[in-house]
Parts: sequence; C-alpha cells; structure tokens
Amino acid sequence: MIRIEDLHKNFGPLEVLKGIDLHIRPGEVVVIIGPSGSGKSTLLRCINLLEDISSGTVIVDGLDLKDKDTDINFIRTEVGMVFQQFNLFPHMTAMKNVTLGPIKVRKMSKKKAQNLGLELLRKVGLEDKAHVYPDQLSGGQKQRVAIARSLALTPKAMLFDEPTSALDPELVGEVLEVMKALVVDGMTMVVVSHEMGFAREVAQRVIFMDEGLIVEENTPENIFLNPQNERTKNFLGKVL
Amino acid sequence: MDSMGGNFQFKYSVMWESIPVLMTGVKLTILITFFGLIFGFLLGSAAGLGKTSRNIFINKLSGIYVESVRGTPLMVQVMFLYFGLPLALGMRVPPLAAGVTAIAVNAGAYIAEIVRGAIQSIDKGQVEAGRSIGLTHFQALVYIIWPQAFKRMIPPLGNQFIISLKDTSLLVVIGVGELTRQGQEIIAVNFRAFEVWLTVAIIYLAMTMFISKMLNVVEKKLEIAS
Repeated sequence: MIRIEDLHKNFGPLEVLKGIDLHIRPGEVVVIIGPSGSGKSTLLRCINLLEDISSGTVIVDGLDLKDKDTDINFIRTEVGMVFQQFNLFPHMTAMKNVTLGPIKVRKMSKKKAQNLGLELLRKVGLEDKAHVYPDQLSGGQKQRVAIARSLALTPKAMLFDEPTSALDPELVGEVLEVMKALVVDGMTMVVVSHEMGFAREVAQRVIFMDEGLIVEENTPENIFLNPQNERTKNFLGKVL
Repeated sequence: MDSMGGNFQFKYSVMWESIPVLMTGVKLTILITFFGLIFGFLLGSAAGLGKTSRNIFINKLSGIYVESVRGTPLMVQVMFLYFGLPLALGMRVPPLAAGVTAIAVNAGAYIAEIVRGAIQSIDKGQVEAGRSIGLTHFQALVYIIWPQAFKRMIPPLGNQFIISLKDTSLLVVIGVGELTRQGQEIIAVNFRAFEVWLTVAIIYLAMTMFISKMLNVVEKKLEIAS
C-alpha cells in the first residue's frame, strides 16, 4: 500500500529524516511513537506530499510520488490526513466541511454528497451537528468531523498526525473510538500518537523513531514489554 | 483687515443656496469613488495575491507597483496621469477617466497590502487541510482562503474606502467637477468661503459616515453567517 525507501528530508541544512525504509501493507495499522523532533510528523507529511521529498522513494498505491506523471491531487484523495489541530474550515458547517471534497474534487452531485455526508457524520456520531459551525463544537467533535471529512473521499489509507494531542483528556476517548471503528472496517492506518493504550490495543506494528531514523519496530507487545534498543527503553521509561 | 472678517456675519441661507450646485459635484464624487474602488479592489486583489505568489516575476511586479504608488504623493500621480502620460501616449485623456484611474491605481496599492496581510494571516493548516482532500491550489484559495481572508479585510477596506472618497477632492487640480471643485466655483462667485467650505465638509462627513455604517452592517451580517 505504502512503500518508503531510503527517504531523506531536509529543511535547509537540517536533516529531519535520515533514510527511512517502511512498508505498510493494505489493512495494516501502524503506530509511530518517538520523542518530539524525531521526524514522525514529517514522515507522515511526506506520504501526503505536504512536504516535498528531498531524496528517496515513496510509492503510494503503486504510484511513485516523485514521478512527474503522478497526479498529486489524486494521491491526496487516496490517502486521508487528520491533523493535530483539526484544521476544519471555520466558515463552513460540519456538513459543508465533509462535502467540499466530494463536490469539488470528485464532482459528486450536491444531493449525493449530502447523503454521503450525513452517513459519515452518523458514523462519527455527529449527525445532529451537521449544520453547526466548527467553533460551536468541542475539540473531540471537531476531530471527528475532520475524520469524516477525510473519509468522504473514500481513501485507501488514513494518516493521523497526533490526532488526540490537542484534546482535553476527557475528549480523547471519543476520537479513539472512531479510529477503532475504522480499524474494524479494515482501513490502512498510519498513526503518529502518544496514546500507548491505543497502540497496544489496535496496532499490528509499533515503530519507534528517534533523530530521523526508525530505531526499532515490532509488535506492540514486544516493543512495550521487551524493547531491545536503549533509546526505545529510555523513551518508554519516560512515557509509560 | 476689515474684509477679513472684522464684521463677519454668518449667512445661513448661503449654505442652503449652495446645495443644488454642490449636489452635482456629489454625484461625480460618488461616481469616481465607486468606479475607482471597484477597479482598485480588482487591481489590489490581483497585486495582493501576486505578493503572496511563489512566482518571482509576479511577486516582484506586484511589489514594484505597491512600492511606487505608496512612495509617491497622490497629487503627483494625478498630475502624471493627466498631464504627463497623454504626452507620451500621444492622446488626450478625459479628466474623469484620469481621475477614476488615479483613484483606482492609488487605492489598489493600499488594498493590495490589505489583501496580502489578510491572506497571510490565515493559518497554514487551512491550505494543508484543503490540499489533503485533493483540492488544487486554486480551489483551496477560492473556497477556503479567500472567504476567511475577506472577512478580515473588511475593517481595513472600510478605512481605505473612506480615504479614497476624500482623495477624490484632489482631482480638483485636473478640473474634474467633483464636490470640492463645485465648492471652489461657488466661492469664486459669492466669496462666502466660510459657509461654502463648511457645507462641503459636512457633505463629505455625511458620505464617509454612510460608508462606515454600511461596513458595520456588512460586518455584522458576515458574523451572523458563521
């Protein structure tokens, strides 16, 4: 589904990713953990080409992101992205946030898009908020609308960039529930998160990144209970 | 000294009598302001977007336009457009056309800065979210950035509208028969400078207050709409 080979990313003289190799199979749920500044978010943003790639290869659904013929907008609809700060469009209702992509990108009729929108808002438990503007929603509700907005393009994979980090603790659960429902649906997911409980429960693989490299990867049981690398041990010792 | 007001008597009737003639000037002032600002807004939006463009040529061109207009007096711009440019082009420009152009070009440069500032104040995450659902750069601008930026432009735009309306009085130098010009012409006949300039000032004030009120209404409406 997603194949990354020797990915490097520089911001000026600063090398943020120093050669990442990662292969994500269809339907797999991968959680990326690691200290801040380790390159987790940048890795995710490279997959969606929100950051351009300095060198290396990223292949999404068989399409090489560096290939000039690859339609980047198409890739972006194939891979949904959920942001830490939600990034809902504040001038649009929840419904309009969700239907903008289907209408403008997929050229769906307004009526069909609204049916889809309602279905997706129901899925995230917010059908009664369809006509509410983002500033009247709680953080957790915002993030659930943002997830629905991404799902509206029926992506083949979803990227979550610290989706619960900006939430009040009591609102984290509702977002994780929605994400778990996606796992049940068989969605391919790459999640940058500090929610170790979530990682333990749903991830097939946990990746520990530090200083722009994948330091260790393993099943959640193995990585949490029996970390091999000193840096992994150190990090887990601090967060668990 | 005597004639300078030693026995000055305020003549209320002069104000009333001057109004019909001043109103012909008001019409022209409104006309110039209206079209000047429409073209100015288009010009300013283009240059403002240009200043946020990654295309170096467009970016520099917009920058040069804004800097040269902001860095020179409006009076000089008006004179240049009316007396200077026609010599180079080899054709006469009607005063009204020169006036509207001057207001448009001048307001456009200030509006460009307003547009640029508003667009750059929108969180980067908004574009990213738009791009992540597959919108093109242009679509993200039209559906996501511009509507949010426009709301932030309204107060400074209102300010610029008021400034431009007042700036039309400078067109007196190229003989456009707007409000100030009409006032001057009445005074040339009756010498009642106090009453006539007072009336002219009150009319300008009424117009600028009207713009302020209108913008308040628009602002309120946009607030309710979200």
